[in-house]
Amino acid sequence: MELKIQNVSMTYPSGKQALKGLNLDLKSPSLIGLLGPNGAGKSTLMKLLVAALLPTEGSILVDGAPLNKVEGKLKASLGYLPQDFGLFEELTVTQFLDYMAALKGVRSPQAAIRDVIRAVNLEEKARAKIRTLSGGQRQRVGIAQALLGDPPFLIFDEPTVGLDPEERIHFRNLFSRTAQDRLVLLSTHIIEDVQSVCDQIVVINHGQIRFTGTPEQLIASAAGHVGAFWEKDEKQEQGLHITARVNTSQGVRCRAVADQLPPYAQAEEPTLEDAYLYLISREAVQ
Amino acid sequence: MKTMRLFPLELRRLLQSRLTWLIMALTVLSPVLGLVLYKPATSTTMLSVYLANPAMAGGVAGAILFGLLAIFELDRARRSRVDILTDAMVSPLTTALTRLLALLTAAVLTAGLTMLVWLPISAGLIGSVFTGANYVLAYLLLMGLALPLGILAAAAAYQFTRRADLSIVLFIAFCALSLTVWADDWQLCWLNPCVWALSDDFSNFRVFRSVAWMRLTWLAALAGVWTVSYLCIRQYGKGMFGSLARSVRRIYRPAVALALLAFSGTAYAAQPFIDQSNPDLTVMSFYEIPYAEGVTFLGRSAQVFPDTAAGTVTGRASYRFQNTSGQEQSISFGINPGYAISNVQTNGADVPFTVSDYQEYNEALLEVTIPAEEEVELTMEYSGFPQESMPTMQGGKELSSEYLCLENSTLSPRVMNVMPGEAGYPAEIEITLPDSMIAIPFSSSEAEVISENADGTRTWRYEANSAGGILYAGDYICEQIEAGGMTIEFYYGRKHQAVMEEAGAVDAVKAVVDYCTEHYGTLSFGTGETLKLIQSRVAGGGYAVGGASLLDEADFTIANLGDTDKGVVPGEIFIHELVHQWWGLGNMFDTSDSTSPWSSEGLTVYTTYRIVKELYGADYAQQYYVDQWQQVVDDYYLNFYVRHPEYLEMLPEAERLNIAGGLSGVRRYNEMPLKILKAEQLVGGEEAMDQILRGLFNRELDPMYPYLTYQEFLDTCHLTEEDLNLG
Repeated sequence: MELKIQNVSMTYPSGKQALKGLNLDLKSPSLIGLLGPNGAGKSTLMKLLVAALLPTEGSILVDGAPLNKVEGKLKASLGYLPQDFGLFEELTVTQFLDYMAALKGVRSPQAAIRDVIRAVNLEEKARAKIRTLSGGQRQRVGIAQALLGDPPFLIFDEPTVGLDPEERIHFRNLFSRTAQDRLVLLSTHIIEDVQSVCDQIVVINHGQIRFTGTPEQLIASAAGHVGAFWEKDEKQEQGLHITARVNTSQGVRCRAVADQLPPYAQAEEPTLEDAYLYLISREAVQ
Repeated sequence: MKTMRLFPLELRRLLQSRLTWLIMALTVLSPVLGLVLYKPATSTTMLSVYLANPAMAGGVAGAILFGLLAIFELDRARRSRVDILTDAMVSPLTTALTRLLALLTAAVLTAGLTMLVWLPISAGLIGSVFTGANYVLAYLLLMGLALPLGILAAAAAYQFTRRADLSIVLFIAFCALSLTVWADDWQLCWLNPCVWALSDDFSNFRVFRSVAWMRLTWLAALAGVWTVSYLCIRQYGKGMFGSLARSVRRIYRPAVALALLAFSGTAYAAQPFIDQSNPDLTVMSFYEIPYAEGVTFLGRSAQVFPDTAAGTVTGRASYRFQNTSGQEQSISFGINPGYAISNVQTNGADVPFTVSDYQEYNEALLEVTIPAEEEVELTMEYSGFPQESMPTMQGGKELSSEYLCLENSTLSPRVMNVMPGEAGYPAEIEITLPDSMIAIPFSSSEAEVISENADGTRTWRYEANSAGGILYAGDYICEQIEAGGMTIEFYYGRKHQAVMEEAGAVDAVKAVVDYCTEHYGTLSFGTGETLKLIQSRVAGGGYAVGGASLLDEADFTIANLGDTDKGVVPGEIFIHELVHQWWGLGNMFDTSDSTSPWSSEGLTVYTTYRIVKELYGADYAQQYYVDQWQQVVDDYYLNFYVRHPEYLEMLPEAERLNIAGGLSGVRRYNEMPLKILKAEQLVGGEEAMDQILRGLFNRELDPMYPYLTYQEFLDTCHLTEEDLNLG
């Protein structure tokens, strides 16, 4: 599956412009991490990709065809976990997944439901009413419904919110396995998740794409711009973007990103988080 | 396709909701409201009380409940934010359609369940006049079809506004309109059809057809509105108009909406049931048409062919006139507004004619110019669905294989401006009816079968002498009773046979006619030789002409015959109702003051007591009549609201009217007979009272106010109101 986003802009009826002239190619198999601060336009981009919104300018091509012509086909091949979703409280997990499977037109729904319930570790709650589930369990139901029917295109918006660290690792691995033969778009604030599993990263801010490439490329772009120093004076932080501040018995150890590192800072190997913050902070400075 | 695939799933989901089952259960129970609280059908027939009212109450409650359920269900996906998931998989238009179908199916299941639950209850309450066809049609039309209307209206409100609170307000306002402002407009009261009565003993097809027409008109209208709202379902983050603009790109969608709305509008405008008669009943312009100069009436013949399956009439009428004016003359006829006139000829030649758009008293004006020839034969053909003029009392023009009533211009065009000839308005009417039906002219005329036709019909012929005339026909039983020196032909519906036999109807007729004729005199509308007593389909009252009198079936229902206010056993109540032929019909009473204790009931109950005394003895009459009146009147004087009427005034209107009605009934049925009994004692006994009543019955009537008043009664007895005080 291939999606081409061509010069897409989106302005809401309120006048707020969420995306500006976006161009992006997404091709399977790939697990793409979508990064960006709040309000950057990530959710708008995902809504455009699931045809919940129509772009005010530009076009989205699905395997070469305009999305509005193949909307039905796209929806049939889509697994989507939105950031903010609800479930039918009166149904059991199995009934809800059965309902979603029918909406998706999944063949052999019973087997598919069994598989996704197992994949998200909800076997014990399969017959429980959704109203009795915890926040994390609901999130897992949401992931399960997205995985139903082995869709070739998956979009996860903050999928690991509400999950404990162990579960997060489980799902990161699941996403990674899933992406072996399909296109997965993962939007998250948790850089660690992206770093662990994504082979591609798209950074978006103020409605525009700021970076596309591999995590390594993003990290490389921050080389020489990450440093650490012992804080002696608050004035030392001026012009720097502090990414970590650790209180130790020897004093406060700060980690910072900046275009130009001060002489008192010792150069450090950048992490993905450093690189991401460096990218965003540069834009803020500009 | 996707809708049909998703439908069972959505239905299953809907039926997994406790709220759905609660709504279904309440709807199934809701007909009970028609037995105790909400009684729009005012007639007292068994089917009105125990079928129409429960079914209509079920329809009103069910439509409101399902409308609220629809709003809740449509809002639930949005409220719980499941729509974010579902819209990513399926178009919101598809899910909306699927949800609507699931709700409609739940409504159908509920209506079916209601019919099953209420079947034994209704059959038990209604008794021997219960029929499956009436039951199914009543629950289907009066209740069942209200539910989808409620769902469509509520769903449309939600799809337009996308707000549950606003939708509920709009939906309730729409329901309230039907229950208040539109309640008397039979086409607009979508929730509560204008059904005032269902007949026990005859068919109800006309009422059912009318309700079906109204329901289908609204079904199309609301389906059209729903389709427009469906096009407004928000998509792609757009507002209502943006979504509408996007949805109408598939041209069949707005086309379906427009077709439904156009169909509804056409059905509304082209309804065949009710005419456009001038609602101002003081206007009688047709009676002011001057008589055609020099034209006299020689005769009329008509061949009438009712189609009892379609409820239509086809006929051919021929009129003979003598025109001595030497000029063309314009002849005016009253025709039923539902009829189309064709092939109008005079002396074999086609002549032009006009039919007025203006209608009055259920007639349109047909005008034909006859030639300046001395002998003119005017022929015409007419056909159509007879229209009525009282939308809130439909059913009078019932036309089925069980019953029909063709009155005046509905039987054949009625000449309005031609002077009678020497023989008056002689007429010869032939009517072809299914062989199960008996033709009964509402006059002294007798109809006879002149041919038995190969198609299973029989042609009847009778002669009459009037410009109009009324014909009843139906599946009647005729009892010939010799009483009061004449032959009583007592016609009642075959379905009512068990009830009539239980009530000892034949004996009662004989006893009453013998007694009343001997004590008060013959009925003025008897010919002296025969009197037809015809049980009519429920009509809101009886009436009489020379040789025939009508008994409204509502007076002879199982419930009425068990009303102990009127007598002890059904036979005595039957006597009571027949006595009304003398007191009520033979002598009329002014009923304009509903609080007055003086009505036809006082003298009727008194006369019933006298007949029962003669039949069963003085002890029986004392115990079951006089003592009971006294007991009820004693209780009446002790009643809190009688002693403190100021508290009655403080009650809510409905409760006040209910209590006042009950108290008024006590005064009419118990206090007044006691007063008449006291008057009997004061004037010197039964014989003296009989003489007084005989004098009153046969008194010369004032044509401007032909009613028997309490003052006349007191004056004739030489008593004052105070003389009859019971305290």
